[in-house]
Amino acid sequence: MILKEDIEHLKDLARVSASTRVGRGGKFSKKETEKLAKDLGEILGYVDQLKKTDVSNAPEITHALEGVINVFRKDESNKYNPEDLIKAFPEKENNYIKVQFIL
Amino acid sequence: MIITEFHDALKNKKTSAREIVISYLDKIKKENSGLNAYLEVFEENALNQAKETDERIASGETPGELWGVPIAIKDNILIRGKIASAASKILGNYVASYDAHVVEKLKKAGAIFLGRTNMDEFAMGSSTENSAYGPAKNPRDLSRVPGGSSGGSAAAVASGLAMAALGSDTGGSIRQPAAFCGVVGLKPTYGAVSRSGLIAMASSLDQIGPIAQTVEDAEILFNAIRGKDEMDSTSIGYPEHDTRRATVKTIGIPKEYFREARLPDGQGLDAKIKQSIDETIKKLSKKYEVREISLPHTADALACYYIIMPAEVSSNMARFDGIRYGRRTEGDDLISTYKKSRGEGLGLEVQRRILLGTYVLSAGYYDAYYSWAQKVRTLVKDDFTKAFSEIDVIVGPTVPAPPFKIGEKIDDPLAMYLSDIYTIPANLAGVPALTLSNGVQLIAPHFEEASLFEAGKSIEHD
Repeated sequence: MILKEDIEHLKDLARVSASTRVGRGGKFSKKETEKLAKDLGEILGYVDQLKKTDVSNAPEITHALEGVINVFRKDESNKYNPEDLIKAFPEKENNYIKVQFIL
Repeated sequence: MIITEFHDALKNKKTSAREIVISYLDKIKKENSGLNAYLEVFEENALNQAKETDERIASGETPGELWGVPIAIKDNILIRGKIASAASKILGNYVASYDAHVVEKLKKAGAIFLGRTNMDEFAMGSSTENSAYGPAKNPRDLSRVPGGSSGGSAAAVASGLAMAALGSDTGGSIRQPAAFCGVVGLKPTYGAVSRSGLIAMASSLDQIGPIAQTVEDAEILFNAIRGKDEMDSTSIGYPEHDTRRATVKTIGIPKEYFREARLPDGQGLDAKIKQSIDETIKKLSKKYEVREISLPHTADALACYYIIMPAEVSSNMARFDGIRYGRRTEGDDLISTYKKSRGEGLGLEVQRRILLGTYVLSAGYYDAYYSWAQKVRTLVKDDFTKAFSEIDVIVGPTVPAPPFKIGEKIDDPLAMYLSDIYTIPANLAGVPALTLSNGVQLIAPHFEEASLFEAGKSIEHD
């Protein structure tokens, strides 16, 4: 069972507390929170059927393919053009991303 | 027109790239407003590319197999200089700063990009109704969904608005819309195709693949996009010597796909779909040995997926915070800027999955959900390993029911998720799977796409 308070906490953790509708001042409506709690409760209720599966002899999967090994490469900058990345900044000053105070 | 026919016509100078591109652009102009398959059409680029192709042929060059082939690209695959929005508001103004590896390969192969196609936002959905830019429609019946998440790509190919297309498949997002629209769709072996430049949903499951009109066309596109890429460390050099080998002798029919789908809504496999599978099996039994097999963890796969997928989603979606690119909505402080940018920029289904993923990864819940699901995933994979020790190709349905009405399942996420029951196991096990235009799904061992193409063509031509 997922409570409305759980949803509030999850929203904080996941940094998604605004409404899907623009201009709501950063909040889910009460109704949306209730609907989300109901949906999540149902989905978790469904996936709970897994608890019946015997996993005592199954290791956690690490990769779907056999025999794959970790890939390394030299720590060198890649071929991409930084100007395109800078152009995509929502707000900038010279070539720096502009953000609000962090501390 | 299909790729192989067009290639012959182009080679023999019976048509030109310009002629074919203009014919597609005209059809898109007439029909796209009703289907909403394309979010944007690259008219000028396509015409320029066509001109270049024709000039090269006129100068005496022999055209390659994909020269001039007009292709649609799902909106979560990056084309440099073009918007790639993943059908989300948060990336509505995001211009791709590089080409996806598959796009780079297709450009080199001479293909022409017609436009970017509609999809469920960030590939999360089974109907294309979760697009921030309105739902795409099923060309066979405009009141019904084309499937998803690659619904725009499937609808474009099915309605003749593209010769072929690229989609992405995390839990069935290529195969389910292919089945709903009556076209061919391939989810390749995990690692066969580079994911570089694909906007990530669930990285251990995502694969890019072709949507086409015939099995042979899908094979041509797959061969053009596969291969190791240093920008995706999970991509693997495809075993070249194996690609043309014909190996199919035995077909396996998983009893769980027919008898006990164990859908929580109590419904089993649709009677008409079952009939079409039965007819296919009858055809196959003339040529191959057909045997019943068991994939005991079929029903567990769906539950397992709805833990692993949202967990990976919640992690992958953290990068969309309005700071480095995409849309930013300024708040009073940095935290509220994150929340506002994500809250206003992301749709409800995306937020639902982020919250679900955050929940199953939370301290105290990790062992009960994520760790448990990773163990079940091993069992699902072992089912396939065991089955493929006896048989070469698995045959079954792609979807449990025909396309539903637009709006029918939008308020019931669980019912929507259930339409992926037959497609998810292949993603969890990393095995390749091919959906044919009659809705039949074929599944083969890792890197045995050749077996899928062989069996697929045999069904198609019978």
